[in-house]
Amino acid sequence: MGFDQFVAERLDRLLRYATAITCDKHVAQDIVQNVLIRVQKKWDRIGAMDAPYLYVKRMVTNDYLSWRHRRSAREVAVERSELAKHVPSTADPADAYAEREAMRARIAVLPRKQRAALVMRFYEDCSDAEIAQVLGCTESTVRSQLSRALQTLRAHEVARSTTLGVHS
Amino acid sequence: MNDLIRSAIAAEAEEAVDSRTVLAELHKRKRKPLALIIGVATLTVAAAATSVIVQTAVHKTDATPATAPSAASAVNVLLIGTDDANRTDALVFARFNADGSASVISLPRDIYVGAAQDRINSLYQSGPRALTDEVQRLTGVPVDHYAAIKMSEFGRISTAVGGVEICLTAPAKDPRSGVDLPAGRQSVSGDQALAFLRQRFGLAHGDLDRIHRHQAFLTGLASKITKDNAAALARAVNGVVETDQGWDLLDFATRFQGPVKIRTTTLPVGEQVNRGGMVGYAPDPDQTKKFVEGYFGGDQSPAQDGCVN
Repeated sequence: MGFDQFVAERLDRLLRYATAITCDKHVAQDIVQNVLIRVQKKWDRIGAMDAPYLYVKRMVTNDYLSWRHRRSAREVAVERSELAKHVPSTADPADAYAEREAMRARIAVLPRKQRAALVMRFYEDCSDAEIAQVLGCTESTVRSQLSRALQTLRAHEVARSTTLGVHS
Repeated sequence: MNDLIRSAIAAEAEEAVDSRTVLAELHKRKRKPLALIIGVATLTVAAAATSVIVQTAVHKTDATPATAPSAASAVNVLLIGTDDANRTDALVFARFNADGSASVISLPRDIYVGAAQDRINSLYQSGPRALTDEVQRLTGVPVDHYAAIKMSEFGRISTAVGGVEICLTAPAKDPRSGVDLPAGRQSVSGDQALAFLRQRFGLAHGDLDRIHRHQAFLTGLASKITKDNAAALARAVNGVVETDQGWDLLDFATRFQGPVKIRTTTLPVGEQVNRGGMVGYAPDPDQTKKFVEGYFGGDQSPAQDGCVN
């Protein structure tokens, strides 16, 4: 497969993935663009791999997890946590849209690695092994990252539901 | 809750920018000046006597080559390295192929022009056209474009890339060129790089040895060009390259995305002949045309890498 074909087939998915883990479409665009420029230069090697997409996804993820985007990520997180405070109390809890937006806001404030694992599991349907490969860690670390993320989200959910008296 | 997470992440992912924006950006980056500079730098430098051609650095002249640029994807370029008096010190005929590779043939400068005593190295002084016409006649291959640079710029160019690795079979010391280098593998820059390229006296095969030095130097230089020093390199040769007016360098440069794969050889010219006290070469016209056609067509020649005299 040529580089151009790879881009044609995977760019859309890669952008969505990057947007989901960064929670910022512009940061995602930057990362994907820069990564693809690097990929293009090394396409001889990357294109010959068994799973080029997984490798490129790993590059995108590492780029985001690296220091370069830390600041912008924190800014987004702060913005979202503000949002998280307000959404539950002001929106109609029966409104699915509001529920979803509240969840989005909570996901946005998760630690970045946890969020990356979560996105791979719930958006890309990756196995523990695949996530471990992308994150460069063991499968047990993946499981603990995921369970901590879910715990946080569940705690919020419980707290919110209790406050609003939706569930018992 | 898992479904909620799924839909929340999906909603987040939906925010992604249009992939066409990114495609356009990628496409634009491909043609960014830096890539352009690297492409052009590598090609020209590698190709021999000339060096980096940068659009802004190019001083266009009125002369246009004899033929219009060929519609075919391969482009034949005559690269001319001149001394400070505009005599030709190095003459290189290069074919740049559509795939970004280049086949480069050094033409010895002491080739006789026609039946007279004029040698090819004097033609550039009467105008680029006289030289490109002669090269066309000699090789039977149309010259689409030419580019000329003063050889004296190579001192600065070698310094700009932090030195160029060469290898000498014997120590080189010559007061006329000022060269003073030990035998063996070493990095040269500045005046010594220039002297290395200029020395002709005291070499067993004179200009032919010097051609091998040019080729070795250019191969070494090409390997030193990276995206990090291309800009410095471009500055080093700013304003010193001259090309024909009809050459759209920007368009030409878009074909180069990375380092240029170069093959180099020297036109076989036979034994020196003496015409009225001047020595020079009078290569066989048919064999010359056959050699150029074959080499540009992909024929292999013995490798010339390694140490030079």
